[in-house]
Amino acid sequence: MIKIKAKNVDVFYGKKQALYNIGLDIEENQVTALIGPSGCGKSTFLRCLNRMNDVIDICSVKGEILINDFNINDKSCDVVRLREKIGMVFQKPNPFPKTVYENISYGPTIHGMAQSKQEMDEIVETSLKKAALWEEVKDRLHEPGTGLSGGQQQRLCIARAISVRPEVILMDEPCSALDPIATAQIEELIDELKKEHTIIIVTHSMAQAARVSQNTGFFHLGHLIEHGSTDKIFKNPDNTKTQDYITGRFG
Amino acid sequence: MNKSKEQLLNKRYKAEQRFRLYGLSAIFMALLFLTIFIFKIFSTGYSAFQKTWLIVPVTFDAELMMLEQNPSNEDLQDADYYDIALKSMADLDPNANEDQENELKRMVSYFFEKEIKNELLNNPGLIGKTKEVYLTASDDLDQVFKGNYPRDLPEDQRRVSDYQLKIFDQLVAKGKVESKFNISFFTYADSREPELAGIASSFMGSIFSILVCLMIAFPVAVLAAIYLEEFAPKNRFTDFIEVNINNLAAVPSIVFGLLGLGVLLAIFHLPRSTPLVGGITLSLMTLPTIIIAARASLKAVPPSIREAALAMGASRMQTTMHHTVPLSMPGTLSGTIIGLAQALGETAPLILIGMVAFVNTIPGSPMDPAASLPVQIYIWAESAERGFVEKVSACIMVLLGFLIIMNLFAQIIRHKFEKKWS
Repeated sequence: MIKIKAKNVDVFYGKKQALYNIGLDIEENQVTALIGPSGCGKSTFLRCLNRMNDVIDICSVKGEILINDFNINDKSCDVVRLREKIGMVFQKPNPFPKTVYENISYGPTIHGMAQSKQEMDEIVETSLKKAALWEEVKDRLHEPGTGLSGGQQQRLCIARAISVRPEVILMDEPCSALDPIATAQIEELIDELKKEHTIIIVTHSMAQAARVSQNTGFFHLGHLIEHGSTDKIFKNPDNTKTQDYITGRFG
Repeated sequence: MNKSKEQLLNKRYKAEQRFRLYGLSAIFMALLFLTIFIFKIFSTGYSAFQKTWLIVPVTFDAELMMLEQNPSNEDLQDADYYDIALKSMADLDPNANEDQENELKRMVSYFFEKEIKNELLNNPGLIGKTKEVYLTASDDLDQVFKGNYPRDLPEDQRRVSDYQLKIFDQLVAKGKVESKFNISFFTYADSREPELAGIASSFMGSIFSILVCLMIAFPVAVLAAIYLEEFAPKNRFTDFIEVNINNLAAVPSIVFGLLGLGVLLAIFHLPRSTPLVGGITLSLMTLPTIIIAARASLKAVPPSIREAALAMGASRMQTTMHHTVPLSMPGTLSGTIIGLAQALGETAPLILIGMVAFVNTIPGSPMDPAASLPVQIYIWAESAERGFVEKVSACIMVLLGFLIIMNLFAQIIRHKFEKKWS
């Protein structure tokens, strides 16, 4: 099943073009990795999917991005509803400077997902459990989220993202600020999360892409050079640039 | 080769030492000036917190007071106290001639009649009896007693006559002169007589002005800062506004005073000399300060927090109100307090809108005429009487204390409520 369909996507920062004619299909309940050297536009593309580029004044996006066959670049698309369905985890853990509980309950509160304190408690607990953080923080739910370790903070951010039960989770280099142990925990988590969510992850680590993803897209200088199943991209790529990047000849 | 390298290193160490020395001497100079300034103010001002009283026996003679038998409270209010007041002063020297009696009267403040009246009102049983009453000494004797008055000047250059000094010295010798904490400095309004002048009017005037200023400047400035920082598109027009806000912060305060005079008084006919007009004028001055502080603290909120909220599906308004603004509040508040502290010390614009007028009533609302602390300092510093010299310093001490408390408060807010983000 195709969850997201990008067609002819061009992105401009002012006059500078950052993405050229991107067309990419993303499978439901699978992990799609976006790889490529720095500045190739993979993060920009990721931010197109929940219209986070709207925040940047000079950025303009052209083309169609269909999620459930609905063009999110259409004027009728409501970004608030869109971002409720498409969660995002950032490169640096960015919990709100509030308690662990408030971090998780924020999304459900603003979207009116819980009618009572009990329901909210339940959402917080399930979200933290799904993010494999419950055991570590269940006794300190009302302590500041910023007091957790880096890896815990990032799992808190993941728990926050899944608290509103999004269909898609975007992850922008979620492990780049973490140590190997925390990274391994997050990767395990991603594997678990894909049962219920479609995941798109931008990563610098080829090994990580190979470990966690089923599909991979390779970006270079704003072009999508090649995409397909992770197996194929890593073992038998069609394009020599992909080959060169994967074998570490540039990037 | 090696030697020159060593020389170079030595040179660098020496340069660093010299630089430290410059820094230390700069700090030393600053501290020295501050110490001199504070010492000067305290040494001249501390005596204003003491007030000299003459203890004079007063005979509450019903006949002289024109009181009948068993007077009611009203009768006591309406009674004539001037004669017994005069008599008790004249009695200090039974041999005094008419001129000397006049001089004796001038040894106490013109409130002496009222002080005697209050004594009787508090204790009506005194009628027909004699009691020692505390009377405020005249400002000149007050200064003499505090040692601030040069007694060795020739008599024609002094405001205190030899005769007054003689009687005063007799009273001192009898222990009938006492110095007590000067409560009236805090409870009386301004007066032409230094011994009766207080800061109540100007203190209340300052408080009302600051409150009006806060109520106008804070909401306007915070909304402007939030709009400019979080919502406004970054284009030439907003750049232009930003430049002009910064310019506004640099406009001399007297110009705002002229604006208040020309617009608030001349066009809108708001009541002259009132904290209302003063507060509005000061708020114009404080506005850019608060806007700049609020924008700076909004800018200091990491963009990752905004992104986190937006990515959760919060609208721009929710992101701003739930996250950015609360996080920026400590900085905004401390900026506001510092802006208000500036406004509190401002004199020039208030002089232009008439808050320099002599006000001998204590204002009960921002619509009543009032002075303000810095203007009070200006008014007193202009006065010729020796007694105002210490009053000026005392008023400066009160103003400085007020400012220090405000700045301390700003610091506490900044440290206590500022959240740390990783």
